[in-house]
Amino acid sequence: MGRRRRRRRVDPADAARALPEAIAALSQTLPAGPSPETFRRAKFDRPEAAPALWRLLFRVLSPQLADGASASFSPEAQVRSVKLALRTQGYPRRALAQLPDDGSQGGRELLLALAWLLARGPLPERLLTQNRVQLGDEMPVCECEALASPGPPAPSVEADGCVDIRHLQWLMGKLRFRWRNLMASQQEQCALLGKIHSYTRGCHSDRSLGHLSVTETELLRDPEGGRQLLQRLERENARLQAALEWRRRELVFWRWMDTVLGACPPEASQPTFLPRIPTPGTGALEPLVRELQALQGELREAVEARRAAWEAGVGGRGPEWSAARTALREAVGQDLAALRQACEQGGSCSLAQPHGPHRLVRTEAGVAGGPGLRAPEVIEALRSQEARLEVVLRQLQGQCRQELARLVGAPPGPVWILPPGR
Amino acid sequence: MSIVTVQLGQCGNQIGFEVFDALFSDSHCPQGLCSKRENEAYQASCKERFFSEEENGVPIARAVLVDMEPKVINQTLSKAAHSGRWKYGQHSCFCQKQGSGNNWAYGYSVHGPRHEESIMNLIQKEVEKCDSLNGFFIIMSMAGGTGSGLGAFVTQNLQDQYSNSLKMNQIIWPYGTGEVIVQNYNSILTLSHLYRSSDALLVHENDAVHKICAKLMNIKQISFRDINQVLAHQLGSVFQPTYSGEGSFHYRRNPLGDLMENLVPHPEFKMLGVRNIPQMSENSLAYSTFTWAGLLKHLRQMLISNAKMEEGIDWQVRPPLSGLPTRGKMSLNKEFHFNTSIANLVILRGKDVHSAELGAFKDPALYTSWLEPVHAFSVWKTQRAFSKYEKSAALVSNSQFLVKPLDTIVGKAWNMFASKAYIHQYTKFGIEEEDFLDSFTLLEQVIASYCNLGF
Repeated sequence: MGRRRRRRRVDPADAARALPEAIAALSQTLPAGPSPETFRRAKFDRPEAAPALWRLLFRVLSPQLADGASASFSPEAQVRSVKLALRTQGYPRRALAQLPDDGSQGGRELLLALAWLLARGPLPERLLTQNRVQLGDEMPVCECEALASPGPPAPSVEADGCVDIRHLQWLMGKLRFRWRNLMASQQEQCALLGKIHSYTRGCHSDRSLGHLSVTETELLRDPEGGRQLLQRLERENARLQAALEWRRRELVFWRWMDTVLGACPPEASQPTFLPRIPTPGTGALEPLVRELQALQGELREAVEARRAAWEAGVGGRGPEWSAARTALREAVGQDLAALRQACEQGGSCSLAQPHGPHRLVRTEAGVAGGPGLRAPEVIEALRSQEARLEVVLRQLQGQCRQELARLVGAPPGPVWILPPGR
Repeated sequence: MSIVTVQLGQCGNQIGFEVFDALFSDSHCPQGLCSKRENEAYQASCKERFFSEEENGVPIARAVLVDMEPKVINQTLSKAAHSGRWKYGQHSCFCQKQGSGNNWAYGYSVHGPRHEESIMNLIQKEVEKCDSLNGFFIIMSMAGGTGSGLGAFVTQNLQDQYSNSLKMNQIIWPYGTGEVIVQNYNSILTLSHLYRSSDALLVHENDAVHKICAKLMNIKQISFRDINQVLAHQLGSVFQPTYSGEGSFHYRRNPLGDLMENLVPHPEFKMLGVRNIPQMSENSLAYSTFTWAGLLKHLRQMLISNAKMEEGIDWQVRPPLSGLPTRGKMSLNKEFHFNTSIANLVILRGKDVHSAELGAFKDPALYTSWLEPVHAFSVWKTQRAFSKYEKSAALVSNSQFLVKPLDTIVGKAWNMFASKAYIHQYTKFGIEEEDFLDSFTLLEQVIASYCNLGF
């Protein structure tokens, strides 16, 4: 029995095509993906490749921006935003931060940054999930995703010298109005969604859903919109297929990235990359250090004095004292447990179901719905989270009040601050 | 989103009727100067905001009518019903048989609590008819008895019960030579209470509107109806639908919220004035054409020189050159002074509205030092003409417009208070001297804050 031919010799032409095809697949899944030729040029740090890669990284790192919105950011703003986002995520290479803000250079470094992002997690899949075409009326059930992703870069405002407090009050008031307007808009949206859902009862072919969503209703009313929706779905399909393609071929890409890394000049050994702390001047640091040390000394003395006084007041009480001490220990233990629980639950979501947006489906009262979350459960979870946040808010307010009292120099007691006219 | 209007007292009810009538007439006006589709969208937006639907198709105003005597309410109801075009809800009114003798304290401390439940129930019913509530208009006079005292009480209740909803009080500023002896007391009590519980106070001055009727509309025998109609025209030109943004052709869903966010976020500065241009009798309309440049030039000078109408504007008043102190610094003795603004909203309606050039309103010299024009100035537009005016512009301004009138009223009230004249009428019903003092303090603070805008 002859040895079975294990595999067909790899045709050199195929081997040459494998890399560009892998890169093309990757590019198609990412928003604003450049051509494989751009990637090749970037490896050799050719300047014409840089702008396209800056744009790609900007879109990848701020996925919540719509297609049109990213155009409103200038190239410099995009570069700064990319640098900030990478720094926030802990990107280690200093060379990227040192690239010029006009986006004219840095193709190779940007390639490395992209590879770093790809290696950290399922980036194309995540982007596709976030930007997928939604047919239903979606509603977020928890804030985890919103809290995890950094928002779009805000314009930096230089606070030079004094700020007129009236301007601050103006801004606070504006924020409050915007919040109220947002609440009102959300209530309006809910009311209108409710109307659409009840009017289209029985229209959906999928019995478990029962009624149409806004997108589906629009589909029926406006054929042109339907055509556009179809086009979007087809584009999404193409991207999904490209993502599958990418996963099949990515090994070739990683091997190539090794050569890109090899092509970089050796980076001098750097200590851990620290965020830039704006210093008013080197001279200001000395007195700060001194003041810090002085405060530490003061604190130590105060603690010693307190402890001595306490021990003196408490020492030698006998059996009453040990009972009191056990009660104290229990109380402290309970406080600690509550604090621990608050810390754990404050951050994470208490829902058992998967996070992310869910489709809204309206059912008749008493009818058992399909899989997924029930509104009362979500409301319950949100209510308990609200209660927890209220407790935290009250604690913070109490701390503020004490701080104010300290600043005023008075012993802690009620501080009467008249609300400004409200 | 819908706005619920609470009409209080004789003043509030008469004006309220004219407002709804003006809104309805405008939205059904055939000369909209825009496409049919656009006109339908405009109508639908206006209708949803101010009227609710009934089975037989006659729109019902989203309003609650309150008065302590039945005469004016009955007149208002029947006027609306007879027009056949729109009407008030059958059960939307509350009235009693007795008046309140122009006694603020009686309105606030007696009528208010006594009828609180009934009035708030009526409002609640009206609110439930709305798909979503934008906020409340409360139309009331400042100086009378029922409207002012009860109005202050109702606004406070709205604050408690609907704390997230927006409230704008449409306040009728009395004639300087008014007939009610205690009108200044009523005025300061009303203003100070409203300042605490309302979001915005949009002031309509009787004197100013009277002049408009006389000079611009050429009305010989000016009746309250004429005044109310001019007022309604001004309000309509502000709150009829406008596009939601630059380049958008969808109508704004939350005009009250957008207005308040842009004009009154600061709790010390809540007093708004409104001007509009052009204003003329219907007969003259057909013979007049305007350019946006001309209209805006006049409107800007009206703002700067605190003119009430487009005739008799003082063109000498100029914005101060940067670095120099404000011309005729805000001393209330001087005749002419430059009106410093905190924030302005300009609303343009009509033909070629997108070509209107608004750069002159973004001049930093017009505004106080702590707010830049990009934050202080906003503009709303729509192509759809308003009330047969081919082009019209309105200005809602948070500026020093009302400092002088306010200071005058506070001064007169203080003089009376110093001699304790007529105080017993108030203390009899629970308004103590301390309440007066609180009101004086608050209003002095408001006057001082507005005066300091020039610095």
